[in-house]
Order: sequence, then structure tokens, then C-alpha cells
Amino acid sequence: MTQFQPGREVVIIGVGLHPFGRFPDKNLAWLARYAVVEALKDGGVTWKNIPVAYFGHVYYHGMSVGETALAQLGLTGIPIINVENACSSGSTALWQAFWGITSGMYDMALAFGAEKVPRGPVTVTEEDSPDRYIGSDHMMAGYALRMRRYMADTGAPAAALAQVVVKARENAALNPYAHRTSKCTVEEVLNSRLIADPLTLYQCCPTSEGGAAAVLCAREALGSYGLEDTRAIRIDAAVLRSGNYNGRGSDHSAFSPSRTEPAALAAYEVSGLGPEDVDLVQVHDASTIGELQQLESLRLVPQGEAWRATADGRTALTGDIPTNTDGGLLAMGHPFGATGVRMIHETVLQLRGEAGERQVRNPKVGLAQCSGAGDVTTVHILSK
Amino acid sequence: MLASVDPQRLKLTDESGTRGTLLGCRCKDCQVIIFGPATFCQSCTSVDLESIDLASHGTLFSYTIVRIPPAGWPGQVPYILGQIMLPEGPHVLAEIVHCAESDLRMDMAMELVFQTVKSQESEEEKVVYKWQPSQP
Repeated sequence: MTQFQPGREVVIIGVGLHPFGRFPDKNLAWLARYAVVEALKDGGVTWKNIPVAYFGHVYYHGMSVGETALAQLGLTGIPIINVENACSSGSTALWQAFWGITSGMYDMALAFGAEKVPRGPVTVTEEDSPDRYIGSDHMMAGYALRMRRYMADTGAPAAALAQVVVKARENAALNPYAHRTSKCTVEEVLNSRLIADPLTLYQCCPTSEGGAAAVLCAREALGSYGLEDTRAIRIDAAVLRSGNYNGRGSDHSAFSPSRTEPAALAAYEVSGLGPEDVDLVQVHDASTIGELQQLESLRLVPQGEAWRATADGRTALTGDIPTNTDGGLLAMGHPFGATGVRMIHETVLQLRGEAGERQVRNPKVGLAQCSGAGDVTTVHILSK
Repeated sequence: MLASVDPQRLKLTDESGTRGTLLGCRCKDCQVIIFGPATFCQSCTSVDLESIDLASHGTLFSYTIVRIPPAGWPGQVPYILGQIMLPEGPHVLAEIVHCAESDLRMDMAMELVFQTVKSQESEEEKVVYKWQPSQP
């Protein structure tokens, strides 16, 4: 596959977040705008200087919602693009912002995402699809199938899967923006309500509401905006991929854990970095098995070994592969459009040394991997 | 005449709705076989495809007990969702019937079976493919 070649250096200069949870009195535009204003403040950027904006969200709340959200900041006439790529809508928005800047289309860009979600199971296919009679249109059931196969192939005990949640909650307990901040034990995880055996409720991310935003800028253009680069974080790689044929002849998300691997290899190649250089990682942990398989697909641990790395504490904040340091999807929660940008927000804070109680020791390189149903994956590598 | 839940994936071969075959495509360029319809080969994007009948048996690659049903599921809850690997390579997801949960073994031999399912919205009946343990 042709690899896009980046041009000039791009940095992230501002990040912002609206807490994740349930906010019945806040609409989508409000959640989005809150995060945008936080990112502008964080970067010392004025709204009128933003030349383009990309907004990731999934559920329909009217047409051109990005325009509606940003209109309250002032009508500046800039191009605003609404982006949908399932759970990686936000990271796709960021990908677009990066490539536009690096290729010279514009000097600065806003990438933001937000979501207000209905409760209940998520469906990908349209109504009256034959899959509804067949009973296969069930995202969490897809994860459960993967989980059982993984446990059979690797010998991973249920407790190791549950440990992913224990770790997520420990991280989220240090994060005032997270949705699920109460700590839990392995027993509580395994005894929580069964969704699709062996997947229990606590092993699934909650559907949440929230917003996240990032301001990107060409490094060489910082001076023209009167901006300093002391807190700027470089984007070394931005890769977006859809599904590759995987030998199983179907486009079910359940069948494609390995689509991350080609994206990761492309990201390592273009950045000149390798798995050994990654100091912390945010991955798509919509369920516990998701975290384990993404760590393996990113080659941060050998195939079949992620459960052991978790059990050994290597993915904790104090380990050598700190994973989902803000609590991830499992404990931050998962507002679909915001998640990809939230991963970037956490990576930027960590690399700046601004992550407070969650701070990982002296990180230089962070990786963020975000998936989307229907087969999308994004891999971004950031460095100080 | 009973209708197949998806004529592009399940071809009924008689009017009783109890006999039929799964359908797939084989690429004449790269020989890859997939389950269901295709216009382009999923592996090499060739358009030189032929429709083929697929095997009516396979092995149990994985399964789960679905306790919170997906939207529109007309059957009972909980139900067993199986992922069966056909000898030609494709994986086929369908409900597992005529088998207690405790009798399921990973990689066990499974065979195709059909059941008639009524839609939630209309009185229409569809024949749906399902899996059961292979009968000796």
C-alpha cells in the first residue's frame, strides 16, 4: 500500500476536554464547544485565527453540527468538516488536520469530537438487515467471540482479562474527567452482569457523553501566530486504515483484530521509531480483550503475551508499557466522536509532564491507536 | 414458499425450507473463497468471481452466550452465537441450536441446520441457517 509522505513538521499546541459521563442538560454542541474553548485556552490561540476545523461525531443530531457548535464562538466563514468513522471519528478528524497542515494547505487546524449517545447495545448495520434474524449484529458479542478464542489459544485466565479493568479504574480514580472512577477488584469484574459470555459488564466500556479538542499547527508557523513551542508536542506519524482481507471472508469487526498491525508498521516506518521507543500507549479498549489484542498488534508485546504483561503489572502507570493511562475507554468512557481526540489529549499531557497524579516517568514517545466499527483503525505517534 | 433470510447467503433447495446450502464466491484469479455475495474479490479486487456452494459443516472456532440481545432479535434470550470455520476458509456466524452450553467444546464438528423464524414486525416467515453439533 502507498504510504503518504509527510511534509513539514506539525505540532499540537493546545488540548481540551469536557468530562466524560452523562449530561442530560448539555447538548452535543455544548459538549463540543466546551472542549474547543479549553483547547484554545491551553494553546493560547484565539478562535479567529483558526483557519479550518474538523469535527468527529457519530450519532445524528442534525446536519452540519460542527458548524452549529462553532457558530457560538463567532462566524468566521472557515471551512468546517463533519467527520464520521464510527468510534475513530475523532482520530480521523485529527488525521485530516495533520495531513492538511503537513502538506501545506493551511498552517493551523482544529480537530475536535463529541458525542451524546443513547443507552443500550450498539448496532452497526441498518434496520431490517438479515443479520438481525441471524443474531450476529452485536458488537460486544463479537468481542466475546474473540475473547474466548484468545483464552483458548493462550491459556489466559479470566483473572488476567479482569485485571485490565482493575488497572483502568485505578488510573481513572486519578482522573477527574473520567466516567467510571470507582476502583474494583478482579472478583467484582468477573461477577458483574454477563453481557455475552465470557464478557461481563465491567469488561465493556460504558457509552458516555463528552467532548475533546486539539489545536494543531505547523512548527514553522508558530512564530507568525505569536506562539511559543515550549509545550508543543510533535506528531511523528498519522496513519488511517480501513479493513484488509484477513482470510476469514467477512467484514465483521469480530474477525479483524489484525488490521491495526499494518497501520502500526506504517506508523513506525514513517516516524523512524519502533515499539521499543514507545513510552506509553493509548489503545482501543472497548473491552478488555480489545486492549490485549491491540497491544499485540502494535507489537508492544509478542503475540499471545499481552495477558501476561497485564498480570505482571507491566501496563500499569509504573510499568514499562503504561497503557490507557487516563482510564481508557473502559473507565474514561466512550463518547464515540471524542475518544480519538481524548487519547491525543492524554498523550500530550503525559509528554508535557502535566498529567499530575497519573504522570508516567519521563516519557518521550506516546502512541495512540483508535479503532472504529466497520473496520477502521488509526495510529498516531507523538513525541516531545 | 418459505423465503431464505438472505438468498445471497442461503440458497433453499426445496419448498419445505429444510434443505439448502450456504453460498459464497470463489475468485478465479487468486482462488480466495468468501461467504456470501461479492462483486469484487475481497482479497485481490478482481471481478472474475464465480458463485459456489459452500460446505454445510465446519468447526467451532468460538462461541458466546448472548444475554443482552441485539436490536431486532426475534428469538429467545439468552442464545448461543457460534463462529464456525468452514473447510474452505470463511467463518460463518449463526445461532447454535440443539446443544446445551455445557456440551460445547472449542473446535468441535458442527453442521448446518435450518429453522423458520417469524419477523417481529410482520407475519413473514424466513428460513434462517443455524449450527448444531454434527450428528454421527
